[in-house]
Amino acid sequence: MRHYVQAPGPVGEFSQLTLWQRAETLDLVYVGYGLLVVALVLASYLLGAFGWLPHDPQAINVGLINAAPFTPGHLLGTDFLGRDLQARLILGIQAYFLPGLLAITISIVGGCVLGILAGYRGGWFDTIITYFDNLLDSFPRLVLILLVIAAFKPDITYVMVVVGITGMPVTANLIAGKIAFLRQKNFIEAAHALGLPAHTVVLKHILWLNCRALLVIQATLGMAEAILVETSLSYLGFGVQEPAPSWGNMIQAGANYFLQGHFWPSTAPALAILAAILGFQLLGDGLNSLLEGRRRN
Amino acid sequence: MKFAAVKPVSRVLARELAVTALLLVGVSVVVFAILYLAPGDPLHTLGVREAPGLPRSWYGHYAAWFGKMLQGDFGHSIRTGLPVLPELARVGVNTLTLTLGSLVLTLLIAVPIAVHAAAHGDTAGNTAATIGAYILSAVPVFWFGYLVVYVFIHQFGMFPLISGTATKQAHAWLYSLVPIFVLGTASGTLSEMIRHLREELQRVLAEDYIRTARAKGAPVWRHAFKEGFLIPVTEIMSAKIPFLLGGAVIVEQVFNWPGMGRMAWQAAQDRDFPVIMGIALLAAAFVRFGNLLQRVVFTAVNPRASQE
Repeated sequence: MRHYVQAPGPVGEFSQLTLWQRAETLDLVYVGYGLLVVALVLASYLLGAFGWLPHDPQAINVGLINAAPFTPGHLLGTDFLGRDLQARLILGIQAYFLPGLLAITISIVGGCVLGILAGYRGGWFDTIITYFDNLLDSFPRLVLILLVIAAFKPDITYVMVVVGITGMPVTANLIAGKIAFLRQKNFIEAAHALGLPAHTVVLKHILWLNCRALLVIQATLGMAEAILVETSLSYLGFGVQEPAPSWGNMIQAGANYFLQGHFWPSTAPALAILAAILGFQLLGDGLNSLLEGRRRN
Repeated sequence: MKFAAVKPVSRVLARELAVTALLLVGVSVVVFAILYLAPGDPLHTLGVREAPGLPRSWYGHYAAWFGKMLQGDFGHSIRTGLPVLPELARVGVNTLTLTLGSLVLTLLIAVPIAVHAAAHGDTAGNTAATIGAYILSAVPVFWFGYLVVYVFIHQFGMFPLISGTATKQAHAWLYSLVPIFVLGTASGTLSEMIRHLREELQRVLAEDYIRTARAKGAPVWRHAFKEGFLIPVTEIMSAKIPFLLGGAVIVEQVFNWPGMGRMAWQAAQDRDFPVIMGIALLAAAFVRFGNLLQRVVFTAVNPRASQE
């Protein structure tokens, strides 16, 4: 069962409307919040990459453990060792940002290739891709990732390759549906009649001019998936190891103090995960409604 | 209607069984490929050699490996030395309790809400519910588990703290409701279920035959039940099985639940190939079986759809 239904895309009456005419208030709220999250994540990634942090993320201060947010000097408080939570949250983005981009790239490129083969060539390719889709859907993703971790090593690159491959069928289905829709259109027929080579039609007229919005949407939703997987794995102990911070291992380490009532050290990264995943999902769905004229739900 | 349904069901059942078998072979090829490519030759630890008479190659390996599994020999756990299949059966029951329990629990919560929303149309609360569903689907399961333990067990003392201890506690079974609840509500299972059921029911209630039933004064619910309720419920249940099995890995870790997910975690820690391989195959088999059931129900309810 797919959650995506191919509705008439931006070709036709819908594309005649300007963005402002299409937009519902809720879409603008979604996209606005999503863009804010993207900007924050990107800025924090760069801060972490250059090491411009408000505090040393490893510096232990036993005099000031489990400090509440807005403690002077520690905007987001400190954890159970007195380490600055703000610095650790910023640095935690390093754990998923570049690996997430890898997963997105794999799923988009692979999904485009499969989708074009299924939608443009059709026939046997279509059957094979449906089979491939069902095959990948058979595995609970986390179990497949644990299998890969056991067989190779707990390396985020391997994990993100799995995430990318399992994300390919969704993109492929969307592209194939889009191509099936576009092929009935006059401009594609005209391009064929003009004798344009197939790769020009596919790459320029279909993929670049009519699918790029869809691919951007898939990329944002892919980042939400990558965050979910990376934080789950580092929670399970297969990702970034203490004392290096990741949002997942911060929750895991802080959880030991949860039942004593010191819930902030694990709640702060949980809220970060919540805010980030929500941001990428809302951005994807808002853009979907704005650019493609459909809602995922 | 019933007689008309008999023939397509058997035919579709045959086709779906063939597809399921084909997919399970594909699943085994994927698992085999991962183990075959892994460093250190893990297949060797499974005692897999080329079958006699077959060439020394990957397909000889695969045939030998697949043949062993068909005989029910999944190898022995490296860590415990116990045969994998009985161990999997032992913990698999616990995971089934957890996943099926959470499916039932989420259905019990989702169905009344979805039916109410579909019957009474869009209300002002709908936007709030949509946003709430988004937020619920983004909450990290592991943190949510600790939160539930803290609030319901630690603060309010509503459930026993630990289950499965040697000393019998009163109402210890109640404890299992907590992980079942966490798995069912977190990572969007509940919200997606409500959304899917509501939309499908709304779509069916807008159909002509429902309007006719209404005009005749016939009971609407009996007419809408199959299309608007039975099919979407089985659809969403079957679609959620892989997510629940994946979520079980984390929930079992949070609550120390002795199931397949925890075993998978332990096996990945120890690089215990026979165990993690068995779990991956068994989990995929669960998923395919659930999907098969869904297809059967779908065909039985809607025999026309099978006559393509």
